[in-house]
Amino acid sequence: MSPEGPRLSADRLLGVALIVIAGLTLWSAQSLVVAFAADPLGPKGFPSAVATILAVCGALLLFGRGLPFAWPERRAAPFLLLVVMAAYALLLEPLGFLLATAGLALGVALLFGARLWMALLTSAATSAALWALFDKLLDLPLPKGILGA
Amino acid sequence: MMETFSALGGGFTVALTPMNLALAFLGCIIGTAIGVLPGIGPLNAIALLLPFCLALRLPPESALILLAAVYYGSGYGGRITAILLNMPGEPSAVLTTLDGHPLAKQGRGSAALAISGIGSFVGATLSVILMSFLSVPLARIAVSFSPADYVALIAFALSLLGAVGGASAPKAWAAGCLGILLALVGVDSGTGVERFTAGSIELLGGIDFTVLAVGLFAIGEILLLIETKLRTEAAKLGKGQRLTFRELVFCLPAMLRATGIGFVIGVLPGAGASVASALSYTAEKRLHESEGTFGKGDLRGVASPETADNAAQIGNLVPMLSLGIPGSGTTAVLLGALLMYNITPGPLLFTQRPDVAWGLIASMYIGNAMLLLLNLPLVGIFARLLTVPAWVLYPGVLALSFAGVYAVSNSAFDLLMAIGFGVMGWLFRKLDVPLVPIVLGFVLGRMLEDNLRRALSLSDGNVAELLVSPVSIALWVMTLVAVLWPLRARLVPRRAVAS
Repeated sequence: MSPEGPRLSADRLLGVALIVIAGLTLWSAQSLVVAFAADPLGPKGFPSAVATILAVCGALLLFGRGLPFAWPERRAAPFLLLVVMAAYALLLEPLGFLLATAGLALGVALLFGARLWMALLTSAATSAALWALFDKLLDLPLPKGILGA
Repeated sequence: MMETFSALGGGFTVALTPMNLALAFLGCIIGTAIGVLPGIGPLNAIALLLPFCLALRLPPESALILLAAVYYGSGYGGRITAILLNMPGEPSAVLTTLDGHPLAKQGRGSAALAISGIGSFVGATLSVILMSFLSVPLARIAVSFSPADYVALIAFALSLLGAVGGASAPKAWAAGCLGILLALVGVDSGTGVERFTAGSIELLGGIDFTVLAVGLFAIGEILLLIETKLRTEAAKLGKGQRLTFRELVFCLPAMLRATGIGFVIGVLPGAGASVASALSYTAEKRLHESEGTFGKGDLRGVASPETADNAAQIGNLVPMLSLGIPGSGTTAVLLGALLMYNITPGPLLFTQRPDVAWGLIASMYIGNAMLLLLNLPLVGIFARLLTVPAWVLYPGVLALSFAGVYAVSNSAFDLLMAIGFGVMGWLFRKLDVPLVPIVLGFVLGRMLEDNLRRALSLSDGNVAELLVSPVSIALWVMTLVAVLWPLRARLVPRRAVAS
């Protein structure tokens, strides 16, 4: 690897991504129209200007070479965590707070390297403690789900 | 002068109610703990607590007292790990390791902890005093600002993000732009037009600030933490000779200089506590160059960055309260908190909601005294937090994040959106894109557009009239400098950076 870094560096990919986002924003902004011009700025002037600056910043990133992307030391863990979190978001309402939180805490504890029985203990304690805190002490609305809690 | 005292008196009647005292105390404990734990900073903690303040319908002044106590309390916690483990709990405590850890190795750990705690207290308290007298005059000047002046001021604050902080300037500005664009999602208050919602009903009301903050800072941080190999380190507490009174007096001039540097840096928009502590340490080191003791365990080398750190944290609050322009990421989150209560910080805050503004300031006198009393004897207990394993801590943090988001909105869509922002925060951290500009752009975006709209309505669409008043001309010139300064390296031939 040259001291300047690889040609397809993370910074350049980021630059391209920023330009794409800016382009989509500009394209989406052009469809914004109001029937009567109540004020001179309108709905699309400001976002278009900001998107243009964003595109310029993205273009500036294309010039520098930057460092290669730092791949995770544990490649699977972040993606497994994403799966656990997405499952939590989708199952919170059907399952209820206690069960869903216990599942979330179990998954996260295991991903952070806990042994199974320690993870089970953490998960039970976390979900029970948070439920006691929110439902009993603070009286916040939590989804009841199938256990009624 | 008398006005300030009577207003401050009014603030104390707010801050001294039992609930607000208890909240300040709670915030101080949480703040110190957060400061000790690496990976969880005040931003994450405030992002996490904000939804609960809203869901519990805490009055705005109480919420602000709690959240601000977490904020300035964290300045007391970061030093503990810096001194004992050579591992800064907060980015602004990096400089504390330079002399703090050698002191701990020489058996003067308890002295280093004591002087850093006292330094934090001196820096914070003197800055609160300065803030008490400066905020209202600053707000008075700002009342006369026209919308065009505000456009220039916000542009200046955002452009400065590229000039300070370690990241590359285009990345910082891009992050600011992304933050602004995210703030524009939803129905435009000026024209009633639906923008960037992709037809989603959930997005009509805009993106909730708590969703963005929890996603970027709590979920994103955990995604980053989980990908590195798991390491465990044991904490050891410094023993040996305690801090003597003579040593304290010896460090006092350094603390006063650090307060000055820290407060001024803090008041400037864009520059945060990390810049202040670095600058203050360097200045102090240069002043005592001939002695050659800095970096080998000089108590002044601990007192100086810690004092500046806390002074800058308080200084950061000044532009947020009196101009409505936050000086750092954490104050941007505090500003976001006020906006969620439908309170617009800015010049009118001190006259329209003196209970909020002065209640907060008064509570900071009390909170810092609490922190000093908490931190000197309990430092060992806080240090023991480091022995809590990651697999106990982070399941709880994540469950709290989700419960908080859900408690505000009762919507699974917001949970998914928070996860999406978590992925964004994770990737941006890996790509060295700073996250603070996103938050600043998000809270300032609508304000910028509103002011631009007002300014252009006043001038009938004539853009040139944005540059009429002396204030706006000066601010735009400063903006131009702030934009061109980081780019100068690109304009002149590049020297070899790799050594």
